[in-house]
Amino acid sequence: MSTTILGIESTAHTAGVGIITSEGTILSNQRSVYIPEEGEGIHPREAANHHSEELPKLFKKALDEANLSSKDISLVSYARGPGLGPCLRTGATAARAFAYSNDIPLLGVNHCVAHLEIGLLEGAKDPVLLYLSGANTQVIAYAAGRYRVFGETIDIGIGNGLDKFAREAGMGFPGGPKLEKIAEGDELIDLPYSVKGMDLAFSGLMTAAKQKLESGYSLGQLAYSVQETAFAMSCEVSERALAHTGKTELVLGGGVACNSRLREMAMTMASERGVKCFVPEKALCVDNGVMVAWLGHQMMNADYQITEEDNVVNQRYRTDMVEVTWR
Amino acid sequence: MKFRGAEAIVETVEWNGQIVVSKVRNKRGYRHPSLEKRLVVERLRSESRIMERLLSRGISVPALYSVNISDNSLLMEFIDGSTLEKALREKDFRNHLVKTAELLTMIHSCNVVHGDPTTSNFLVTDKIYVIDFGLSSISEDDEDRASDLRVFLESLDSHHSEINGRDIFLSAYTKWAKSKPVLEALKVLELRGRYNLMRG
Ligand SMILES: Nc1ncnc2c1ncn2[C@@H]1O[C@H](COP(=O)(O)OP(=O)(O)O)[C@@H](O)[C@H]1O
Ligand SMILES: [Mg+2]
Repeated sequence: MSTTILGIESTAHTAGVGIITSEGTILSNQRSVYIPEEGEGIHPREAANHHSEELPKLFKKALDEANLSSKDISLVSYARGPGLGPCLRTGATAARAFAYSNDIPLLGVNHCVAHLEIGLLEGAKDPVLLYLSGANTQVIAYAAGRYRVFGETIDIGIGNGLDKFAREAGMGFPGGPKLEKIAEGDELIDLPYSVKGMDLAFSGLMTAAKQKLESGYSLGQLAYSVQETAFAMSCEVSERALAHTGKTELVLGGGVACNSRLREMAMTMASERGVKCFVPEKALCVDNGVMVAWLGHQMMNADYQITEEDNVVNQRYRTDMVEVTWR
Repeated sequence: MKFRGAEAIVETVEWNGQIVVSKVRNKRGYRHPSLEKRLVVERLRSESRIMERLLSRGISVPALYSVNISDNSLLMEFIDGSTLEKALREKDFRNHLVKTAELLTMIHSCNVVHGDPTTSNFLVTDKIYVIDFGLSSISEDDEDRASDLRVFLESLDSHHSEINGRDIFLSAYTKWAKSKPVLEALKVLELRGRYNLMRG
């Protein structure tokens, strides 16, 4: 029997409500993004306030678009971590209120795993996920019952790094897409390229880019060079993970995976290695409720037993803490 | 043997009447040409320099026969063994882990950090060889050494979660007189990395 699942995302900037069927048909994907004041980073509490105002509207919009009433929902799934405490709690509260008032089962899931699982909906079976978002930069793959982090940033997330450089160059949030727009030319300015095994680091790169900007290099050319360097590092660590695990599929996820140059580079890398590359549509790469719903469905479909702990938010809910029982 | 590794094609070839290993860094189309050039030359130079340094200190590294910048290639001794990754699936795994830890302390005491000491970068015969110095550097920084430990432990954890190799490996590493600050740096690294996913 076909069921419909509602998912709630609120781990960082994005409040999202998505509805998907048990067959994987997306019925709605509603999102609203908190934009911090000009020139500033995220304020968790302000973001949480934004989410608590927006989530009720998003519930309504999603149900309307799906042409469903709350009674038609068979599972409420929400991202219980990792993320910013106040944002997570807001999402959890909204999820609880909706689930309890409509007598629907409630399940808290891992946000990073949701990014990976939505890639499987694209047709990948056992991929390496290159997950590039604001705070998270990881290369993840399944091994021995868990999604394991094979490599990740050892300082800042790639998205936050791009945002930071953009902010210092006087551009507003989110900086990543703005840098993509102004990137120009094809001449590379040398910047630190930092890969250690399957781990990477971005803070030296962003600092050097800022210094070059101050010393008079053109912003367009620097934006281009920052992208070329940071994305090449990301592709290289994915390549290392592919070689190391012997897997033959690559999935992109996270907000930075919307970048056209990154997509292009990842696809080139994959085809040179003879690996299949799956690139979910942009609305599924960024933080969204649909992926959260889909992961909840996968788990319940495999008879996952919900425990009390599943409904406690966890700011540091690591990818490899999740026991993968559904595959 | 022909092996397509993370960044190079490694194969056995005949050279002066013997079987040797050639390692060629093939071009990455996704990388900007000037970045590509920079990385390939940097890594080839550093790989050969470091192999020579370790060889001269008597550490078990394949002998280096030739380095050719024009075609990004290295020729080295063929080590007829299996990767540690395979060897750890045998019952002798404890011994392998101890020897690998000892080898890593020897590398570190030459002020070399490997940069990518995964279980695929050690070869096991009657002794253990270390290979693949593409990401290696000269450093006596405890944090860099700790990062080597972390890469190794991560690859153990992700590939060999069925054996509990961490303690065996670390206790063998601890036998090295200079290991203490490295292990402390490892603690900090692990707290900062995997365990701290959300930072502003
Ligand atoms: N000297 C050697 N003798 C035997 N096998 C080798 C030798 N060097 C490399 N190999 C094999 O080739 C693989 C890839 O080589 P490596 O130098 O690690 O390249 P990559 O940088 O692509 O990982 C190794 O994991 C090992 O199996
Ligand atoms: Mg290797």
